[in-house]
Amino acid sequence: MKKYSKVTPEGTKDLLFEECLIHRVVEQKLSRVFASRGFNEVVTPGMEFMDVFDPESSGIAPEVMYKMADRRGRLIVMRPDSTMPIARLAATRLQNEEKPLRLYYTQRIYRNNPNLTGRSDEVLQSGVELLGAAGKRADLEAIATAVEALSCCTPDFRLELGHAGFFRAIADQLPINGEQRENIRSTIEAKNYAALNTLLDGLVQTPSVAAMRRLPRLFGGEEVFAEAAPLCGSEEAASMLEYLHSLYSSLVKLGLGDRLMVDLGLVQRNDYYTGVVFSAYAQDCGDAILLGGRYDNLLSRFDMPMPAIGFSVNVDAVAKLLEEQGYAPDCPKPDVLVYGPEGYEMKALLFASGVTSQGGSCETSVFETEEETIAYARRRGIVRLAIVGEKVQELRLDRENAKGGEGR
Amino acid sequence: MKPLRIALTKGRLEKDTVALFEKMGYDCEAVRNKGRRLILPVGDSLEVVLAKAADVITYVEHGVCDMGVVGKDTIMENGSSFYEVLDLGFGHCRFALAAPQGADFWSGYSARTIATKYPATARAFFESRGMDVDIIKIEGSVELAPLLGLSDAIVDIVETGTTLRENGLEIVEEVCPISARLIVNVASLKLRKREIEALVSRMERETRKEKGETK
Repeated sequence: MKKYSKVTPEGTKDLLFEECLIHRVVEQKLSRVFASRGFNEVVTPGMEFMDVFDPESSGIAPEVMYKMADRRGRLIVMRPDSTMPIARLAATRLQNEEKPLRLYYTQRIYRNNPNLTGRSDEVLQSGVELLGAAGKRADLEAIATAVEALSCCTPDFRLELGHAGFFRAIADQLPINGEQRENIRSTIEAKNYAALNTLLDGLVQTPSVAAMRRLPRLFGGEEVFAEAAPLCGSEEAASMLEYLHSLYSSLVKLGLGDRLMVDLGLVQRNDYYTGVVFSAYAQDCGDAILLGGRYDNLLSRFDMPMPAIGFSVNVDAVAKLLEEQGYAPDCPKPDVLVYGPEGYEMKALLFASGVTSQGGSCETSVFETEEETIAYARRRGIVRLAIVGEKVQELRLDRENAKGGEGR
Repeated sequence: MKPLRIALTKGRLEKDTVALFEKMGYDCEAVRNKGRRLILPVGDSLEVVLAKAADVITYVEHGVCDMGVVGKDTIMENGSSFYEVLDLGFGHCRFALAAPQGADFWSGYSARTIATKYPATARAFFESRGMDVDIIKIEGSVELAPLLGLSDAIVDIVETGTTLRENGLEIVEEVCPISARLIVNVASLKLRKREIEALVSRMERETRKEKGETK
């Protein structure tokens, strides 16, 4: 017996029956929304050359990628993200296609997380990418699609908006080098007010430093815009804030009410995102269930510069959420169990095909005897039995009988 | 409304936090007479969970606790995907590199061996110095390692330095100061902003007051 022959690698798991069904339901709901809004499905390979995900432009650290080598010794990774491969696709096979490209995907991504932390290394994501479109209409389209997709699955989520450029515009006003800037960014990302203050205390105290100090606290409802307005310090920052406000005002019409929020301290993957960024949170889910944003510089990495925006939904997280909210789909039982005694096996199979071709569901018994077949039907809770001999004989196993069968 | 759930690191940080809550007017009777229970109500709006330091981070990261009180040492060692919103100003100590008294740690070319309970912190420190070292993880009294000849130095938490002195060690360099931090789950801060911000700012005010008193 091999040591690891009966377990799955850490961070992975089997999905069985109800759990599997909930996943499929979520997948289908999301796909239906994406398809009905004119997005076309694509599937990219489960493994790609590591060069596709260079850490600088993808914001994905090399150590979190599962790596292997192909026969020629070239580094291959298991897809750690879907946006980079889709950008590759858009820049190569779809370069002459009519723009904008409206693409959606449902596929697994792989991350090598630290052991024993309970995080999944394999995550099913479903998302869209709108490539070759800039401006407010494109931003609204992406965000409205995200809202519709999530609303189909769970009514109880909050959507949060930010702008990747806002931090950059303020950081540009500070006399800091790249390393300091990264330190400041990471303390803002962690809302580590104390460490941010320590970093900023070392600088000459200008209005821009004061603005940076406030940045991680600038989150909440619409009042954030008024709070942030006096802190901009440059045309650029002010125009970004104004733009975000106008997006916010438009999105209010989607009926999110106070479930629409703003966080100007959203500075994750700041070299990757260029404009609006957004994420969604749900009660009882410790992490974001949806992440997205505008990434206008990414395609130039593949020599095909074009603006783009997209998002991805964590299908596993949404499925878990539905499960916790008590959504329990029944695994369907076949309407009828078909059995053919010796000599009538083929007739039974043809009868079964007849049932399924008319939209019914049935199982063909693989037991040798009628007694075994009846016992099996009782264990499985199948109520109708069709015994296909010279004639077809229908047998009903009512519930009491079925229960009695279980007890035996 | 569900109470906010806050995980406290068992022991001194738990006592200091409870003292802080009591100054803020919370009824901490249940925590003071906890018996063997590990989830305890504090007033109507808070629920305290008692856990080991690293577990506080795990519970907060997964969102089963909204907030947590944990030492900066644990945060540095275990990484962070949560918000670290407040330095609580208690549980002060520091990470330090210590070597046998009189030994010149930095001299010579041979690679150093470092014993520590905090391998990630030690590695990050020496990486920032561009120094290649061998790190050995020790679970108990790290001071033993250089005494027994296993390592050249240790990276450990130092409060007063008495233990170091009594074992013939001295501080070569301070790595960084440490104190208790209030951490918050990313989704919780967004979903329960008002409650959490109100609590954080009250804790901040009380912490400041205390700092003022001791000065």
